Amino acid sequence: MKKLILILSLSFLGTYAWAQNADDIVGVWEPGHGKARVKIDNIDGKYYGRIVWLKEPNDPETGKPKTDVNNPDASMKNVPLRGYRILKDFEYKGKGEWADGTIYDPETGNTYSSVITWKDENTLDIRGYVGVKTFGRSDTWRRLKVK
Amino acid sequence: MKHIYWLLFLAVLASPQWAIAQDEDDEEDWSMYEELELVDDSNVKRYAKPTIVGLSPTRFLSVSWDMQMPYDMSLSAARFPASQGTGWGVDESAPISETGTVNFTGGFRFNSSIPIISKSNIVWQSGLNYMRVGYNISDIQADGNASGLASILNETGLNNLNWTNTFYVPMTEENFFIFQGLLDMSGNYGFSLQPFNTIRWSLAAVYGKRVNERKRWGLGLARTYRVGNLNYVPVVMYDVTSADRKWGTEILFPARAHGRYNFNKNSLLLFGYELEGQSYRIDEFSFGNNSFEIRRGELRPRLEFQKQIPGPFWAHFQAGYRIDWTFNADELSGSREFFRGFFGTQDFGMINSLGNAAYFNVGISFVTF
Repeated sequence: MKKLILILSLSFLGTYAWAQNADDIVGVWEPGHGKARVKIDNIDGKYYGRIVWLKEPNDPETGKPKTDVNNPDASMKNVPLRGYRILKDFEYKGKGEWADGTIYDPETGNTYSSVITWKDENTLDIRGYVGVKTFGRSDTWRRLKVK
Repeated sequence: MKHIYWLLFLAVLASPQWAIAQDEDDEEDWSMYEELELVDDSNVKRYAKPTIVGLSPTRFLSVSWDMQMPYDMSLSAARFPASQGTGWGVDESAPISETGTVNFTGGFRFNSSIPIISKSNIVWQSGLNYMRVGYNISDIQADGNASGLASILNETGLNNLNWTNTFYVPMTEENFFIFQGLLDMSGNYGFSLQPFNTIRWSLAAVYGKRVNERKRWGLGLARTYRVGNLNYVPVVMYDVTSADRKWGTEILFPARAHGRYNFNKNSLLLFGYELEGQSYRIDEFSFGNNSFEIRRGELRPRLEFQKQIPGPFWAHFQAGYRIDWTFNADELSGSREFFRGFFGTQDFGMINSLGNAAYFNVGISFVTF
C-alpha cells in the first residue's frame, strides 16, 4: 500500500518536482489573448509548439475551418491552423530559458525570433523579437490542465 | 495488482501532463483539448493588442533624406513685440523687406522608437529623433529694413532634436488608452545647442477601441506644435483594413491621414497628408531672455511607397507637395510660450510667406509589424 501511495504521489507531482528542467515547458498552454491553445512537445531534444484548439475554429465568412491565409508562402495558405506548428526549434539553455527558436503569428503571417522564459510552474513569458531582444514584445502564457 | 494499474492510469489521466505525452498524429482527437482549464485562473486578464492587421510596419529605427524643390521666399522686417510692443498685427499685411530663391530645403532625418517595456498589459516606447532643415538661398534682395533672416537660414539652417515617449495602456480586450509626450528643442543652434527654457513640450491622450483584428478607432486631445504655433486640438484615430487585406486607412487626424493599398505582404502605398512643424528659435534675434521663434508649419499631401528590402529592413519613397501653412515669427517674453489660437490678438514678430513646392523623401527603416 505504501508503494502505491508513493507511485501515485510521484505521478501527481511529476510536473512540479522538476522545477526548471528542460521538459518543464512540455504541456498545453494558453497565450495571453485566450483565442488558442498550444501544445509544446520535446522532439529530439528541441521544443515545438502547435495549435491544438481555437476559440473560433471556423472562418466566420466561409464557415470552413480556418487556414493559414496570411502566410506569405502561397503554398501554405490552405494549411489548417489547428495543428499548425507556431513554435519551432527551441533549445533549453538552462536557468529557465528556452532560446534560439521562432514564433509564428498567424494573424499577420510574420515569424519572429523568440525566447521562452520560465516564470513559475504555470506561467511562461514568451518574447518575440526582430534581430535583438530589445525590439520585441512579450506575452504571458498559462498552463492548462484537464478539468 | 489490477487495481494498482487502474489507479495509476487514473492518476496519470488526472495530471496536467496528460496532454504532454501525445504523439503528433494526423488523426489526433482534437476534442480532448476542449476539456482543459487554466491550472491557475487567478489574475487572468485579456488585453487589446496594440495593432491591427494590415497596417504599415512599425519603424524602430529610420534614416531618411528630405528635399524640397526650389521656391521663392518673402520675408517682412523683424519686429520685437514682446520687447518693444511694435509687432505686426494679426490681420496686418506686412510689407516685404527681403526676398530670395530657395534652391534647396531639407536634409537628414533620424527617427527611433525603442521598446522599453513591451508586454501585453503595457507598451512603452521611447525614441530620440533629429531633423535637419538646411537651406540654400540665392538671389537675396533686401531693403534697409530687412532682418537678414534669409542669410541666417542660408548659413545655419534649422535643427530639431526631439524625445518622444509613447505609452499604450490596454484596459480590456477592446478598450485602450494611448498617451504620448514629446520634448522638442528647435532652432538654428549648432553643437552648443540653446537655452533649455526654449524646450517645447507636446502631449496627446487618446481613448480607443479595438473593434476587431481589422478595425480600431479612438478619440482624444492634443497639445501640439504640428503647424508651428502652439495648438490644442481634438484627435481622431481611425485604422481599418478591408477583409481581403488590400485596402485600409491609417488616420490620426489632424496630424496625418492616409489611405492604404497593400500590393502584397512586402509592399504598400500610402496616400494622404501629414502636418509638419515646430517653433524654431533664431539665436541672432533672441535678446536677453526672450526667444524669437519662427513658427514653421507645413501641409504635405503625398504618396508614399513602402517596400521590404532584405529581412526586417524596409525602404520608403515619398513624393508630395509642400504647402506653406505658416513661416511667421513670434517673440516670446522670457521664452515663455503663449497660445494665440483662432482668436488671439498677440502681434507677430515677422509675417513671411514661402512659395509651395514639390518635395521628396527617401529612407530606410528597421521595422516590425
